[in-house]
Amino acid sequence: MNVGPVGRFTFSGGVHPPENKGLTCDSQIQPGPAVKKVAVMLSQHIGAVCRPLVRKAEAVQAGQKIGDSDSFVSAPVHSPINGKVKEIALRSHAVLGRGMAVVIDALEYNPSKRSYFKLDDSFDVDNYTSEQICEAVRNTGLVGMGGAGFPTRVKIEPNPRLPKETLIINGCECEPYITCDYRIMLEWTRQIIAGIKLARKASGCSKVFIGIEDNKPRAIEVMNIALKDFGKDDRIKVVPVKTKYPQGGERQLIKAILKKNVPAGGIPPMIGVVVLNVATTAAIAEAVVSNLPLTHRVVSVTGEAIANPGNYYVPIGTSVQDLLDFCGSVTQKSAKVVFGGPMMGIAIADLETPITKATNAVTVLTKDQIGRAKFARRQTPCIRCGRCLQVCPENLNPTRIAHAVKNNLLKVAERYYMSACIECGCCSYVCPANIEVTGYIKTGKIFLARQKKKMAQ
Amino acid sequence: MLSDIRVSCSPHISERFSTRSVMIDVIIGLAPAMAAAVYFFRMHALMLIVACVTSCVAAEWLCNLIRKKPNSLDDFSAVVTGVILALSLPPSLPIWAAVIGGVFSITIGKMVFGGLGGNIFNPAMAGRTFLTVSFGVLMTSWTVPASIIPEMPAVAQENTLDARTQATPLAWSKLAIKNELGADIYSEQQFMATLTGEVGGCLGETSVIALLIGGIYLLIRRTINFHIPLAVLSAAFVFAGIAYLIDSYVYVQPFFHLTSGGLFLCAFFIATDPVTAPLTRRGMWVFGIGVGALTMLIRIVGEYPEGIMFSILIMNAVTPLIDRFFKRIPAGGSPNV
Repeated sequence: MNVGPVGRFTFSGGVHPPENKGLTCDSQIQPGPAVKKVAVMLSQHIGAVCRPLVRKAEAVQAGQKIGDSDSFVSAPVHSPINGKVKEIALRSHAVLGRGMAVVIDALEYNPSKRSYFKLDDSFDVDNYTSEQICEAVRNTGLVGMGGAGFPTRVKIEPNPRLPKETLIINGCECEPYITCDYRIMLEWTRQIIAGIKLARKASGCSKVFIGIEDNKPRAIEVMNIALKDFGKDDRIKVVPVKTKYPQGGERQLIKAILKKNVPAGGIPPMIGVVVLNVATTAAIAEAVVSNLPLTHRVVSVTGEAIANPGNYYVPIGTSVQDLLDFCGSVTQKSAKVVFGGPMMGIAIADLETPITKATNAVTVLTKDQIGRAKFARRQTPCIRCGRCLQVCPENLNPTRIAHAVKNNLLKVAERYYMSACIECGCCSYVCPANIEVTGYIKTGKIFLARQKKKMAQ
Repeated sequence: MLSDIRVSCSPHISERFSTRSVMIDVIIGLAPAMAAAVYFFRMHALMLIVACVTSCVAAEWLCNLIRKKPNSLDDFSAVVTGVILALSLPPSLPIWAAVIGGVFSITIGKMVFGGLGGNIFNPAMAGRTFLTVSFGVLMTSWTVPASIIPEMPAVAQENTLDARTQATPLAWSKLAIKNELGADIYSEQQFMATLTGEVGGCLGETSVIALLIGGIYLLIRRTINFHIPLAVLSAAFVFAGIAYLIDSYVYVQPFFHLTSGGLFLCAFFIATDPVTAPLTRRGMWVFGIGVGALTMLIRIVGEYPEGIMFSILIMNAVTPLIDRFFKRIPAGGSPNV
């Protein structure tokens, strides 16, 4: 990569893991495998689980709504292919462990026919009202595609109690290996800008910042050129930010660009900010302009153990096995298959696990990448070196929290602000004793949630 | 084909640091000081280092055996304890005393607290304290470096005191305070002597240059932070300076305090022992300032000529309090739950 603009903005803490983006950063977004069967999870997002709207043996069309919920914080799911419902059964879920899924046998599916929509020149943001945009975003089942899967409509809909001023588009992609957002920025630039304008109109924001890490100079350049071509707008600005993990965390990005801290345990709207991922922004354009539901997404299939790594536009519900077979399968005997990147991704045990709307990558890590000690999970006692404190982007005391959880002292963990942890994994990454600091904190959060649930009863 | 799928919680990659690499870094950082010790005090220094390291390693191995715990020797922490203990011993100490010190350091200083990471006090300093209390005479008799030519005067050059037996600069300055002798003998030559290490003193503490090289190595490797060394040295300098300003006839120059005695060894290698130092930045400052100030207090007012050992132990004891007092506030402010 050539030397581009240098990002001055950043946050305190963070780590610099090896990027390894070279594997897939030059591979264009290609159509994915011709799947025979998909399993569309009924819970692909944060919020209420969808009810299935179809029955067993029912024929479904591509784009047909197959699950919905009346709850406000939720998003419907749609069938990506023409086919017949085989069953509605439990499938492995990357985040939840297990969840109900609608399994659909494909009648015919030609991946090269279903490509991302082209934006014609007649697009004008004034053709759509704010309500129309929100409705379209809700109906097409849009959720945050950066990893968390928060329903987008809830994010962008104007809320009189929390007025929004600033829209931040997250093009950082700070996780190692993953390049899907980078490719989207290069190839679907116009759609992203259309999406930004739509999202801005819907949410009532005025200023827009596009945060891109300075290890992607081409993306910064392309975005700047497209902004110029697409009609001048002074209120949309590309901001190069420093390359550092977790720069793409929304709290860290807000801190870097606006120099503001989101209150601990709070959400960005509390300080008038909305953060959207670039893939989500592009999907907003697709949803509003062509009214196509979110049934496909770009997934980076990457890692040294993959024969043909690349970025693929695949139907949601494709199993990991299909995806890996399509990419020339795995060359190693033992490996870790991770949904997402190596820092925050979730290792899966079942290769039939379907990808969801929030899966941005499938990373296959070999023993070499993971490191021998980490692979065998050998730990030594904490030597209190304090590295985890230095890298914590939220300025916490990770080792204290982790050891409080380990000794079942949830009160102590809370006193050290366990709930303010964003689970970025920096503390485990630097730990010389190989302690799963993040793992303990996550466990502690789950214990605490269970405790509170019991107390409420 | 993929047959062995591993699962664990994220993150799945890690920095290639380990507890062992941290400890090996410290040993490498101590290497110049060890070399200087062997150069100045010859064979006996080498034997002391070997004796301390061997006794520490053997004690840890035995403790693990008795407690039926897995062997923890491969983290090299026992070796570090042994080396630091050896470097803080006087060069004429008999080998058997060094062995007793090493065994005490590991068993009482570390293993009774549950091994690495559990100890409250710096094991090497605990061992040295035990030796000081048990064998007071042996622990305060000094020999001059072998490299000093007999004709060349030692630090206490123009003084009536005999430089051969009262060779450490600090012991001499203590006597100066007690007997109200003039302390303004601080010449360029003596300053150079304390820098290179051609003075009497403990094995590893005489050569400031060797310690500085090792300390800078540790700083570059990020094994230690600059906070504690800077806090210790600057606090010592400031407090020595205050005493000097009060009475410059009796009290020696602050530079003299900085370069003589174990201050550099303490600042870079003993106070920075992560297990017994605070975790937070502000805590590190408080800890370092405490060590520096207490050292000066003991040196200037107290009975002992050197105060490193006690000040480290005292500050180790308050470390949990410091950690609790200087808690970190999350980036987003403390949540009002």
